[in-house]
Amino acid sequence: MMSDLPAKHEKRTSVQSVGDQAKVYAARMRLQNAIDQADALDAIREIAGNLIGTEEVAVFKVDKQRSELWLYWSFGIDPNKHSVLEVRREPKLKQVLNGKPVFRLRSSAESLLSTDDPVNALIPVLVDGNPCAVIVLFRLFPHKAGIEPVDREICEVLSNCAGRAIEPHHAR
Amino acid sequence: MAKKVLLVDDSTTTLMMEEMILKQRTNYECVTAKDGLDAISRAVVEAPDLVLMDVVMPRMNGFEACKRMRMEASLSGIPIILVTSRGEEEYVETGFQSGCNDYITKPINGPELVTLLHSYLGE
Repeated sequence: MMSDLPAKHEKRTSVQSVGDQAKVYAARMRLQNAIDQADALDAIREIAGNLIGTEEVAVFKVDKQRSELWLYWSFGIDPNKHSVLEVRREPKLKQVLNGKPVFRLRSSAESLLSTDDPVNALIPVLVDGNPCAVIVLFRLFPHKAGIEPVDREICEVLSNCAGRAIEPHHAR
Repeated sequence: MAKKVLLVDDSTTTLMMEEMILKQRTNYECVTAKDGLDAISRAVVEAPDLVLMDVVMPRMNGFEACKRMRMEASLSGIPIILVTSRGEEEYVETGFQSGCNDYITKPINGPELVTLLHSYLGE
C-alpha cells in the first residue's frame, strides 16, 4: 500500500508557504497604508506582536554623527532602561548601521546588545538607502523558539517600509 | 454552500493575513469584525459557522465577547477559537471558562490554523 505521507507533507508545505506569503504581504500593506506617523508606529507594534511574536519593541533614531542612537518610541519595555545606545559599546550596531539586520541565532544565549533584556533582532530602517533608525525586537513570546526564516522576510519589509514612521516627511 | 468564518481582531494586519490564508487554502467565506462588541452584532446578522477571535481588543475583549455569545441563544452553539499571545495554562483556562472551544497562539502558523479550522468545519 502506498503511503499518503508525501502528499500530506507537500500539502502542509504549500499551506506553510501561503501562510508565510500572507504575513509578508500583510506587513507590507499595513506599513504602506499607514495614514500618518502615529499609525505607522502602531503598524510596527502590530507587525511585531501579531506576525513575528514579540510585545517588546523599540525604535532608536540614529544621530547625525552615527555615534549614538536615541530612543524614539517603544512598546512593552521600560524606556528609562534604554534611553540611549552608544555605537562604540555595541559592536552589532556597526553592522546594522551598514544596512544589514542582525538576528540572534536560536541556539545562542548571546544578547545582541549590552542590556539585561534579551534582544532578538536589530533591524535598520532605511530612508533613501541610508539607515535613519534601528528597530529593536526584545523578548519573544515564551512559546516562540526563535526568529524564523519568515520573520527575516518580515524584518526586511520593516527595514524598507518603516521609514515613514521615523521620517514622516519622506514620500511613500 | 460555503461555510462562513467570522474573523475578529482590532489589528488590520492580522485580519488581512487570516483572510489571505483562508481564501487561498480553504473554501470558507470570511466576514470580519474589529472588536468583541462588533463581533456579537456581526455574528447575529451573519450567522457564521465558526468564530476566530483575538483576546485583547478595545471596547470588549475576546473573553467577554465569548461569554456573551454563549448567553445568546442563536450564537451559543457556534465554535469559537480564541487567538492569544499567551499559551500559559492560567490564561488558556480563562478562555475555556469563557466558553471557547479551542485556542491558537500568536503568531499564527498557516498550516496549524487551516488544520484547526478543518477539524471543526471539514474541508
